[in-house]
Amino acid sequence: MMYTKEELFQAISTVIDPEVGFNLVEMGLIYDASSDDEGNVKVVMTLSTKACPLHQMILQWVKEAVEKLPNIKEVDIEVVWEPEWNITMADDNVKKALGA
Amino acid sequence: MFKISQDFAPPFKLIAPFFIIGSIFYFLSSLYLFSFDAEVLSFSSAKILAFVHLFLLGCVMMIIFGAMAQLVPVVLEVGHFAVELFYAIWPLLLIGTILMVCGFLYSPALLPFGGTIVLISMMIFASEIFLTISKVKKLTVVMSSILISNTFLFFGVIFGLLMALSYAGTISINISALLSAHIGSVLGGYIVITIMGLSVVLIPMFTLSHSFSLKPLKIAITLMSTAVILLILSSFFTIDFLAYVAYILAIISMLTYLYLIYVIYKTRPRKENDIYAISLMYAYISMIVSLSMGALYFILHKEEILLASMWLFFFGFLAFLITGHMYKIIPFLVWFERFSPLVGKQKVPMLVDMVPPKSSQAQFVFCAVGVILVTVAILMKNNTFLDAGASFLFIGTLAFVRNIFYMINFK
Repeated sequence: MMYTKEELFQAISTVIDPEVGFNLVEMGLIYDASSDDEGNVKVVMTLSTKACPLHQMILQWVKEAVEKLPNIKEVDIEVVWEPEWNITMADDNVKKALGA
Repeated sequence: MFKISQDFAPPFKLIAPFFIIGSIFYFLSSLYLFSFDAEVLSFSSAKILAFVHLFLLGCVMMIIFGAMAQLVPVVLEVGHFAVELFYAIWPLLLIGTILMVCGFLYSPALLPFGGTIVLISMMIFASEIFLTISKVKKLTVVMSSILISNTFLFFGVIFGLLMALSYAGTISINISALLSAHIGSVLGGYIVITIMGLSVVLIPMFTLSHSFSLKPLKIAITLMSTAVILLILSSFFTIDFLAYVAYILAIISMLTYLYLIYVIYKTRPRKENDIYAISLMYAYISMIVSLSMGALYFILHKEEILLASMWLFFFGFLAFLITGHMYKIIPFLVWFERFSPLVGKQKVPMLVDMVPPKSSQAQFVFCAVGVILVTVAILMKNNTFLDAGASFLFIGTLAFVRNIFYMINFK
């Protein structure tokens, strides 16, 4: 394994949702991330809504954020809708800031 | 992987004219209020007809059409059939609106010309939406709402043109018989059903609400569609009973929709009361009061109550729903075009940074007070309250125009 899940999450945490102002990891939108020895990365994530107009752009930002790590060969992002995202998946600081 | 096609967003230069013109017509509508005499307000006066078309065509329809250019690919999950057609829609709607308002005020001979141009504009819009919907494989309830609302728009505009031709003396038909069919199709059939459909996409998106049932939406749309069809039938066959059933169904439909909005509101994780949230709260409270007054009218039969009800529906509900959403939609569009390419390369603003805080609050306060004062003026037939309300709205809508330009030019 080239990168741990935590290292990949750390890289993705640089991506901010411009509407709510929090990064995707603390929003709880990144479900899983893994890599193999050859530098192939797989990210499993969701979005806060299927109708998100930034859908493709956010995926591109996640891809670029991971590619900033050294020796990354390919980044595969899978968007899933199950389990459906809800606010309980977000970090406490997000919930507190939103008043949830 | 479930993939949504969101990369069909039209360029902002295509949408911006709709929002700029719409905001200016909002301002012009408030300016127009100074010309009214509260003691002699009547639905049948040409001045009221001019005002209604100035506001509904110039502001409400203009902004809805612009918003639809952006939102249709998001909601339908396919690209526009021919998004370039929107370049033709706003100039035609603008010219048609001006001609119709002038026609009502100065020369009925202008009405058929204005009406025809508006018809062409709306037919282009409806056709584009129909052709875009034809690309969708499976219709959701929200997609169906767009299909239904545009069908009503199609017929509503034809009824309107027939009325304009008759008003100008070109053809001879019973205008009053077609009036409720025209109002029902455009207002209930198009504007309200469009709002119902889009708001269950937009409001949860901005408030992060989840896990609510769409059943109330289906019921609300079914009831409103039935109400509009009954209203059209009552118009054509002069059956008053059908019209009363239609009004009751329409009110139940709106209450069902309100219930859904209440559920979304109660389950929202995002509890901050920003300009978007307070604008929507004002809009829905106005709608409740408007519906109550509408129901009261059927008991008391006083025209000023119906006028106040419609005023609250237009300037309380529709206007605040639209202005609230402009503070979300425009920053997003500008951000998407101007700042999204810079993400990761330099610091970019958040969407909330692009809304002028004090000016947007001023717009809200002045418009909110203005709407209440004008409502009182209509009910009491008092010109002092009317002038005071118009003055507040003059400042509030001017602030709104300023805010639109601020957000569009944000750098």
